[in-house]
Amino acid sequence: MNPPSVKPRIHLACGLSIGYGESLARIENEGGGIMLGDGTHYLLARNGRGKTTLLKTLAGVLKPLNGGCECEGRTQYLGEDLTFDRELPATAIFKAFIKKDKYAEAIDLAQTLELDVKKPYGQLSTGNKRKVALLVAEFSVQDQGRDVLLLDEPFTGLDTFSREVFQKRWNHNQDGVLRLVSCHPDFDSMEVNSSVLISDGKITHVAGDGNAQCWGELKTQLN
Amino acid sequence: MIQRKVWIIALFCALILPIVLPYLTPYESNPSLIEPARAQAAWGCLWVVTIAWLFFQAARFGDDTARSGLGAYFLSSGVSGLSQMMQIWLACLSFLLPLVLVTLAVCFIGAMPSDSAQAQMWIATNLQYAALFLLVVTPLMMVAASVGSRFGSTVGYLIPLCMSVYGMYGVGYLAMMTDVQSNLLLDWLYVVSPHYHLADLTPRLVFRHGSMLSSEFLQLVIYFAGIKMVLAMLSTLTFQPKPAS
Repeated sequence: MNPPSVKPRIHLACGLSIGYGESLARIENEGGGIMLGDGTHYLLARNGRGKTTLLKTLAGVLKPLNGGCECEGRTQYLGEDLTFDRELPATAIFKAFIKKDKYAEAIDLAQTLELDVKKPYGQLSTGNKRKVALLVAEFSVQDQGRDVLLLDEPFTGLDTFSREVFQKRWNHNQDGVLRLVSCHPDFDSMEVNSSVLISDGKITHVAGDGNAQCWGELKTQLN
Repeated sequence: MIQRKVWIIALFCALILPIVLPYLTPYESNPSLIEPARAQAAWGCLWVVTIAWLFFQAARFGDDTARSGLGAYFLSSGVSGLSQMMQIWLACLSFLLPLVLVTLAVCFIGAMPSDSAQAQMWIATNLQYAALFLLVVTPLMMVAASVGSRFGSTVGYLIPLCMSVYGMYGVGYLAMMTDVQSNLLLDWLYVVSPHYHLADLTPRLVFRHGSMLSSEFLQLVIYFAGIKMVLAMLSTLTFQPKPAS
């Protein structure tokens, strides 16, 4: 597969301010702002600091209070509260959202994740509902495309095995896909190559430049 | 799964009740009345099913889109709010149009006059009725979806319900009041009210008054198309694909 000719990109301009009425967080002293390329980037912050607000602003669901931001590529925002029709089984949801040529692969991965694809969505556990949403996002990604996935707390309710399956897939499938993932890592040794931090009302970018940082180190920077 | 099978009840109301209900009347005294009664029951059932069920479906679809996060998902994917509202509206139309066709089928097959001249008139009246009916209820479904997305399914249902009941019956009472006392405010209210009762051609079918004159029909089409445009614009402004923050 040839790599895509134009890469997906997120640009958060210097001066960007996000929030509902009053500013929750903004970008200061970041030169030309924050630029994210393809690969996986983690959005880390304590509760109520503006992770979801930033993702919604990037998705175009909310307007920034000040400054600008831009997602270059086909964007999908998976909110934490995203749910599907409770009567539909995962197979029907996949058929509605995923192209035919990727459907079989999605079902295969669902089986690996022990997701009952014939059970109505409303009867699935929280973790399994999350798997459905993640599979929809993952397999809606276009081959040789420019995709931006904004994932809000995708690991909520997921067991460690399923989370590792997705993280492994993300590591193997980085070309042409930019994932910005908000989460609260639950073990200190989790490696983070690139992270966007929101702390003390400021949005900053910590790039590992090849040397991954551990969540244990990063979390000391959050307030 | 039974919750999602309400369409069977709707289909039953549109198809079976118009055939059964006329036989519950003392039709033996005048059997010729059974066919107009069937047409009356068919259109009556269609109005009831649309107002009681389809408006609620539209409101629920709007509410679900905003609440489930799917509206925000589609918005991020480049599907605009207007496009989402139109898709919900078209989904509701996919329920409504078959019901209208069933009603027409009941009127054409089960209540067609035997005289060929009257039959032609009958067909024309029913087609005019179907057109006016659609012009009245389709914008109200759009209102239900858009209000439902912003204020929840209950409010989204009640507003078009009240509008349709007011337009069908309330305006008549208002007319009586304006006849009794001259009041500028009431006169003005009467003028700006949606006169949905004009779209109810049931008396024409029951008493076999024949179809409307083309000019008269065209005037009504323009009038209801005007209301449709106003409601469509208001719905576009009201529709909110994301939950209220």
